[in-house]
This record gives sequence, structure tokens and C-alpha cells, in this order.
Amino acid sequence: MTDYLLRVEDVHKNLGGKEILKGASLNMHKGDTKVIIGPSGAGKSTLLRCINLLMRPDSGRIFLDDEEITGKHVNLSLVRSEIGFVFQHFNLFMHLTALDNVKLGLVKVKKLSGQEAESNAARALRDVGIQDTLFRNYPAQLSGGQQQRVAIARAIAMEPKIILLDEPTSALDPELIGEVLRVMEHLAQSRTTMLAVTHEIGFAKNVADEIVFMDNGAVLETGTPADLLANPKHERTQRFLGKITELYGVKRTGA
Amino acid sequence: MNIQFESILPYLLTGFYYTALLTVGGLALGFAIGATLAFAETYLPRPASTVASGAEQVLRGIPLIVVFFLVYFGLPYVGIVLSPTVAAALGLGLRSGGYQSQIFRGALESIGVGQVEAALSIGMSKSSAYREVLLPQAIRLSIPAWSNEFTVVLKDTSMAYAIGVAELLKQAANIVALTLQPLEIYAIVAAIYFIATLVVSRTMNTAYEKWKIPGLGGGAR
Amino acid sequence: MEIVDVLLNYWPMLLQGFEITLILAAAGFLLGFAIGIPIALAETYGSRLVRWLAIGYVELIRGTPMLVQIFLIYYALPQFGIRFDAITAAILGLGINSGAYQAEYFRGSIKSIPSGQMDAALSVGMKLTQAIFSVILPQSLRLVVPAWTNEIVYLVQYSSVAYLVTVVELTAVGGIVGVRTFQYVAIYSIIALIYLATTIAITTATRRIELRYAIPGFASSKTFRI
Repeated sequence: MTDYLLRVEDVHKNLGGKEILKGASLNMHKGDTKVIIGPSGAGKSTLLRCINLLMRPDSGRIFLDDEEITGKHVNLSLVRSEIGFVFQHFNLFMHLTALDNVKLGLVKVKKLSGQEAESNAARALRDVGIQDTLFRNYPAQLSGGQQQRVAIARAIAMEPKIILLDEPTSALDPELIGEVLRVMEHLAQSRTTMLAVTHEIGFAKNVADEIVFMDNGAVLETGTPADLLANPKHERTQRFLGKITELYGVKRTGA
Repeated sequence: MNIQFESILPYLLTGFYYTALLTVGGLALGFAIGATLAFAETYLPRPASTVASGAEQVLRGIPLIVVFFLVYFGLPYVGIVLSPTVAAALGLGLRSGGYQSQIFRGALESIGVGQVEAALSIGMSKSSAYREVLLPQAIRLSIPAWSNEFTVVLKDTSMAYAIGVAELLKQAANIVALTLQPLEIYAIVAAIYFIATLVVSRTMNTAYEKWKIPGLGGGAR
Repeated sequence: MEIVDVLLNYWPMLLQGFEITLILAAAGFLLGFAIGIPIALAETYGSRLVRWLAIGYVELIRGTPMLVQIFLIYYALPQFGIRFDAITAAILGLGINSGAYQAEYFRGSIKSIPSGQMDAALSVGMKLTQAIFSVILPQSLRLVVPAWTNEIVYLVQYSSVAYLVTVVELTAVGGIVGVRTFQYVAIYSIIALIYLATTIAITTATRRIELRYAIPGFASSKTFRI
């Protein structure tokens, strides 16, 4: 009996002939916020998709609340409804209003009544800063930042045990990134269990309990933001951090 | 140029009736075939998807008249004898199925896989995701190209002339044989087709304007 | 097997019919091209009256069945003393019909070229006609290639309507052989396969041409016969 909420043990995944995940392992306590960084092709997104079972690992095991979700007779729908997922490209349901986007899961999966679903959905939307006046807008009528925040609302309305975020700001115009990061920081501060793949080092520094560096299909190094960013142990970590501090202008040494 | 409308009207009405019958029958059959093929090609693994793709190519690669003949002469071999009208509807349906498959595939592709992934991620089952997320959008995105297909099938019913169906053009030819006024008669028939296609496209256009997903354009136009 | 027998006995006739089919399709396509470009230009750049006439032509042709159009040419024009033989009538029908559709493809591709191109051309000092022929048309012609594939395939298939005005093209061979041998399914299956093979050959060939002449970075338009 561990007190880890999420345990990922030695996951391997082959995609199109290439081995993308080569024994990735990860553990999270309830309330943790962890950020995964690493070069492209390292398998970060693949790992996330294995956790919420959009993909099935070829080998290795994943436990949610001490129950193995990679087992044979697992109820996929049930597990997925307990894991929230926010996509890089939002993936909002284009034919539904913002409110209905958040309501759909509540009605169809959690079987809430229409009224209850509507009030829960409205609350989730307000939590991410979407005003009531936008509730009846369709995704195509919302800005990228608003769409992603609706996507986050869609995930949190399901009251999941953990929320996974796959590069949630990478598809956003620069001036819209801030509003989404603020929502994410707010979530982290309210002790939501979050696992995010992102390049936003600032976010990691501010709220992450741990940064996980992945390279070549496995976790190479982990540490608190203070430790990892200032004193990375592996050379590859150093190289990667060097490249992105150039890009994102985050100072590695000092405050 | 004198045309005795009273005498030719019954013929034209019968012809139009058969034309309408063939159009609706052909479109409906085409819808069933097209939707199945499109789904199979987009979401089923091989070999199902390759078979569907091949079927689509075959249905789109053979002229309608040849399809008519194959159906009309071929089915008796399997023990099914059809009237020319039913054979024509079947032929139209087969051909339309190939083209409607292309239309639906385009719609499915433009919706993309992300929204279905999102639906799965909140715990919806695959069938629920297809029903609630994919289908409503696929239908709306298909409307422009589908309304075009409607008019194509309507016009193609004229080829059922080849197997003797009593549709509009055949009736016209019969009338011309009696009255020897090809210009007037064929011009009238052309006008009837024209008005029919106009009505169809206008209606579908209004439907599209009412039902389209706000903020998004339609599919192929 | 009946199919093999029929094939062995009648391949010369099939070949002849096929030849006529190709002639019909090619001639129809070229005629359609010759009609389509002027109509498209008229619709885009013409005066109100010219545009109105062009649009009228396109709407009329696209709103009526090709078979009716060919019937009018072959059976109705003689009333005015204009008599065409079957093949010419068929080619005219195919060409006039194709012209309307090709006009729409061209118009679509011209429209999709950014207006900045015309602005730039005029700013350099070109006259309207120069700008059209040196800048707009070369780009729009490349955009139109996928639609052309569709159109040629359509013409090969729709050439079969010429059968109904007594042209002895490929489909007609089916009727002739059928009446003689009663092997209707066999002969029409062979004919179907020939059409199918031709369709596939055309689509693969044009795809190669499309790739070869593509302007790097230029999107191509995917169109249906609208």
C-alpha cells in the first residue's frame, strides 16, 4: 500500500516501428504538480497518452490510486473519466457551445441531470475565468486562450484525480499564453494533482514541486526546480537547459 | 411553335414522377453505401479500410450506363430479376455511394481525430464519441457537397433512358416521336430539370445556412 | 470461361470503341477548355452584362442533364437546318457541358489567388490583359490541375452517353456483342474494367504531372465537380 496517487513503472511503447518509450518511470503523490521537460522525440506526449490510456503501453505498468490501469479487464471509460487531459490543440467540440462542451462529459459519462451538469459546468468555466457572456459562444468564436481555458474547464468539471496537460500553451499566440498559465498556476496552488509537459520554465519555477527531465524515451533526471535548473547532474540535461534558456531568456544562475 | 400542353402533360408528369423516384431511391442507397464506406476507410484497420477504398474507386470509375447494364443483365444470373426502374435506382445508388463516400470522407478528415480523442479522454465510449461528436459535425460539413450530389443524381436519372425506364427524358423522346417537335419538347424538359435542380440547391442552401456550425465554413464547395 | 472467350473474339471491336471513347473525351475536354477560360475571365473581369451572360450560360448548362443537351444538339437543331453527325454532336455536347464546369474551376482558382498579385502586376505598370496572362493565369492553371483530373475522368465516363445518340464508342460495343452472343455480363464486365483501368491510369498520371509542375509551397485545390 503506497501513498502514491500515480505510479508509472518501466513503460515501453513502440510507435510505427520505433521504440519511443524505453522504460519510463514516474511517481506522483496526491496534490503534486510536476512538469516534464525534454527535447522533442523524447516521448513526453507519448507518456502522457499512455497514462490516460489513449495509447496502451507495450510493457510496463501504471497504477492509479493503487489500481493497475494497464491490466487486462480495465474499464477504459471509467479510468479516463478520472484522468483529465488537456491537449495542445484544445480539441474542443466545434459543434457545441462553450457551456455544452463542458456539460457533455457530465451528462454522458457522469450521468448528471441536465440542471446539475449545467451548474457544475458553469462553475468550472467561471473558475478558469470565462465569463457568462461567453458561455453560448462556439469554439470558432473564441480566441485561442479562451478555447484552451474552456478545455481546462472541461477537464476539471469531471472532478478527476489527476490532470494531464500536453504542451497546453504551445499552440497559442504569445500574448494569450499568460491567461492559460495563470489558470494552471491557480490549479497547482489549489493542490490539484497535475502533470504537465511544457516548455514554460517560468511556470515550472513558480509552482512545480518537481521537474522531470526526459530524454530518449526515459526519465533521465528529476529534481526540484531550484535544484534541477541550477545544478543539473547530467550533461544532456545541461545541454537542453542551455538551449531553452537561450530561447526563453530564463536565467539559470542566481534568483 | 404550338404545343398542346394538355396532351403532353400527363406524360411529363409520369416522367417526372419516375425521375423523382429514381433520384430519392438512388440518393438514399448512395447515402447508406457512402456512409459505410467512408467510415470503414477512415476508422477501420486494414484490410477492411483497403477493401472499402477499392470499392469506392470501382464505383467511381465506371460510367453510369455501364453500371445500369451490369445490374440489369447481371442480377438475373444470381436469381434476382428486377424491373428496369429498380435496376436503375440500384445503379444510381451504387454510383452515388462511391461519390458520397468521398464527400463524407472529406468531412471526417476535416474534423480530425483530436476531438474524438478529447471525447475519449473524458471517458466517453467510442460509439458515444462517434455519435455525439463526430456524426453531428460530419453531417453539417457534408451539406454543401451533398446538395451538389443531389443535383447530380437528379440529372443522371436521364441516363436510365438507356434501359427504358419511363423517366422524364424517355417520356420526352416518346412525345417527340409523336409530335415531331424535338426543339420545343426537349427545351421544355430541359427547363423542368433546370427548375428542379434550382429548387433543390436553394432548399439545401437554406438548410445549410440554418444548421451550419457557427464560425466554421462548410466542406468542399 | 465466357469472359475470356468474349475477350478473345471481340478485342478488335473493343479497341475501336475505346478509341472513339478517347477521341470523344479528349475533344470534349479541349473544347471545354477553349470555352471555359473565356467564360471564367468573363465572369471575373467582365462588365455587368458580360458577367451576367457568362453566369447564365454556366447556370443553364450545369442545371440540365448532359444527355438532354446532346439530344437538343443532335435532334432539335436540324429543325433549324443545322445538322451534325452523331460524333460531332456528341463532342459538341460534351465540350459545351465541360466548358461550363471548367469555367467554374478556373474562376475558383483565379479567386483563390491573392488580390495582391493583381495589385502588384498593375503597380509595375502592366495593363489588365497583360496582368491576367502573365501573372494570374499561370498560377491559376497550376491550381486547376487536380480539378482537371476529375474533369477528364468525368468526360471519359460521360462519353458513354454518346451511345444513346448512336455513336459507336466503347459502351455501344457492349450492346453489339451482347445481341450477338447474349454474354451481356461478360462483355459489360470487360467494358467496365477498361473504363476503370483508364480512370486509374489518368488519375495516377495527372498526380505525377501535378507533382512535377508544382510551384514549391503552393497549395492545390481539391475540388469536386460542382
